[in-house]
Amino acid sequence: MSDIEPIDVDALMAQVRERIREKREKGIYGPDVEALLRVPLPGGRRIFSDDLQDPLASLAEALDEEVEYDPRSRKPIVGPLITYARKAVISLVRWWMGAILERQERINRLLAAAYDYEGQMAPRFGARLERLEREWKERREREVAANLHSVYFQARFGGDEPVIRKQSEAFVDLFAGRKRVLDLGSGRGIFLQLLKDKGIGGYGVDLDPRMVAQCREKGLEAHEVDALTHLRQIEAGSVDGLYARHLAEHVLPGELIEILRACRRALAPGAPLVFVTPNPATLTVGAHTFWLDPQHLRPIPPELFKFYLEVEGFTEVEIRTFEPTEKRLREDVPEGPIRDNVKLLNKTLFGDRDYAVIGCAPAK
Amino acid sequence: MRVHQFHPVLAPGDAMSNHVFALRKRIRHWGFESFAYAVETKPGVADVRTYRRMFRDVRPDDLVIIHFSMGSEVIDQILKIPARRVLVYHNITPPEFFGGINPHAAAFARLGLRQLARIAPAFELAIGVSEFNRRALEEAGYTRTARVPILIDWDHFAVPPSEVVLARWKGLRTVLLFVGRISPNKRQDDLVRMLAYYRRCIDPEAHLVLVGAYRDQPQYHARVVALIERLGLSGAVAFPGGVDDPALLAYYRAASCFVSLSEHEGFGVPLLEAMRFRLPVVAYDAAAVGETVDGAAVLLRERDLAEVAEACAMVTERSDLREQLVAAGERRVKDFDPEKVAERTREVLGL
Repeated sequence: MSDIEPIDVDALMAQVRERIREKREKGIYGPDVEALLRVPLPGGRRIFSDDLQDPLASLAEALDEEVEYDPRSRKPIVGPLITYARKAVISLVRWWMGAILERQERINRLLAAAYDYEGQMAPRFGARLERLEREWKERREREVAANLHSVYFQARFGGDEPVIRKQSEAFVDLFAGRKRVLDLGSGRGIFLQLLKDKGIGGYGVDLDPRMVAQCREKGLEAHEVDALTHLRQIEAGSVDGLYARHLAEHVLPGELIEILRACRRALAPGAPLVFVTPNPATLTVGAHTFWLDPQHLRPIPPELFKFYLEVEGFTEVEIRTFEPTEKRLREDVPEGPIRDNVKLLNKTLFGDRDYAVIGCAPAK
Repeated sequence: MRVHQFHPVLAPGDAMSNHVFALRKRIRHWGFESFAYAVETKPGVADVRTYRRMFRDVRPDDLVIIHFSMGSEVIDQILKIPARRVLVYHNITPPEFFGGINPHAAAFARLGLRQLARIAPAFELAIGVSEFNRRALEEAGYTRTARVPILIDWDHFAVPPSEVVLARWKGLRTVLLFVGRISPNKRQDDLVRMLAYYRRCIDPEAHLVLVGAYRDQPQYHARVVALIERLGLSGAVAFPGGVDDPALLAYYRAASCFVSLSEHEGFGVPLLEAMRFRLPVVAYDAAAVGETVDGAAVLLRERDLAEVAEACAMVTERSDLREQLVAAGERRVKDFDPEKVAERTREVLGL
């Protein structure tokens, strides 16, 4: 018997978790199945051992509960006698029961007061929670200057439509021959229009209802929904191209990774994916122009973005920079160290302002 | 000297009652007179005396073994009978499992825990059938304790398996089996939820068989049935009730995997039975379960129903893993060899 290997439960569980991850990616194990696993035991209270896992909520329920007792017996012949006897006993012991209940009530109140006093958490717990939630929401709003009048902002800092069009044109060919390309954050629909002009099928999603309306006016398909939600809703492999211009810098790193995972699921095998974002490797961008939009959360260095895509399983990942800064130091000095230094300074300070990270969904 | 055993209820097919009878058989074999007593003897059990006879039968130099797994109204009277006394502790299901479902059982469990601590001084020795139980005895104030496993009498499985059961279940791709009373601490409700995942994500034809008596917990049984309907699993879950040995044997033979999500077991005899009949075991690690399987099962430390289901699926699909588990299981069963356990029992009882 000594030739039998002991069971490596940890290795086995790693395989089990991998199987579950795959099923989640394929959408087999989704929210619907999760809901099934959480269906409570019908027909009465939860099992007390489950209540103990969430004592605060269960306590609130228990305090509101009425204790019912029906003294009637349904037994034939002797039933009425039993009922009578039970009622008699109840009336005999009711003062005693009352005293016990009174003591229990006192204990409950003392316990609640003691908890309030020592725990420092329970008093007006709901109110404290509400305040925290409000403060958290405010913090999120302040982080992206949600109170700024975006119309004025757009007017002063919003990108020029012809410039954006020219930039976007460079990427349209990557999607040649595709049937359903998704533009995340489609805005005014510039890229969608370009796709349409080239006979490529596509549609967009955007959070801003006015942008979506503008697209529809132009006869372009657009939906008002946030990118991650939409990517998770659509069927796996149902889009054959993905374009997202100036989206990545508006989300936190963890969110970006979630989006990339959802993209991988949504993309058909081998389909291309393009993310365009400001290039912080150019110092005038990273230190200055990036911050001209208060909704920008973090600059993403090109190497890091490339790494994200590679780690998340995209293939043929490459970086393309574009949009050189207009202002430059003059390079027309004699050849030599000074010219080299000026070139280096130009590249570092006044290099390309945007970059695209391009990858393909894995082939299989 | 004679040896008397007492437990409030003796019932057929119940692991604890089987232990009482297996022990009686051994003690008689060693040449002592031995009897079993109960307050309530369920139909199907023979040769059990009513506890009232103990007051006449027991002499001061006799040994009385009290099996303890629930509160009892008569325990104080029995302890008044002069004799040597040993307690065998099978553990009490904690009352919190019954709260909200069966207040009567909760009250009895509470009574049992109070009594266990109170009667400690009356015993010269207290035996836990697992280390988990032995520690509970120490916590309850018992000073002389020992661990002696349950004595399993495999002889009563020396019967041909039920043809009817085999015909119904053999050949189905996935039959998940759990054996144990239908009771909130055994968490058959979670097994049902787990089956919902199994049918949606692994095998839409999978079945779950929950062998075990449900008369003690009718409320819980009814609610699990309602859950099955709510999840659309009617027809996928079978409750054959408490079954006889040929049928039980057939379920072990026909099943693809034994799965336990029980949150409280004092020992877990069905885990060993499954191993004995070459069934791989997947079990959630709670109470004495880990100690009983001791590495011969896929023991889950996290209670994640999707993981439980996938572990069952891997055990069912992969023959190498299955063989490994079956071999480990057979080896583990040998540790509970009745001869060895009987010798150890004789030693600690001083017979």
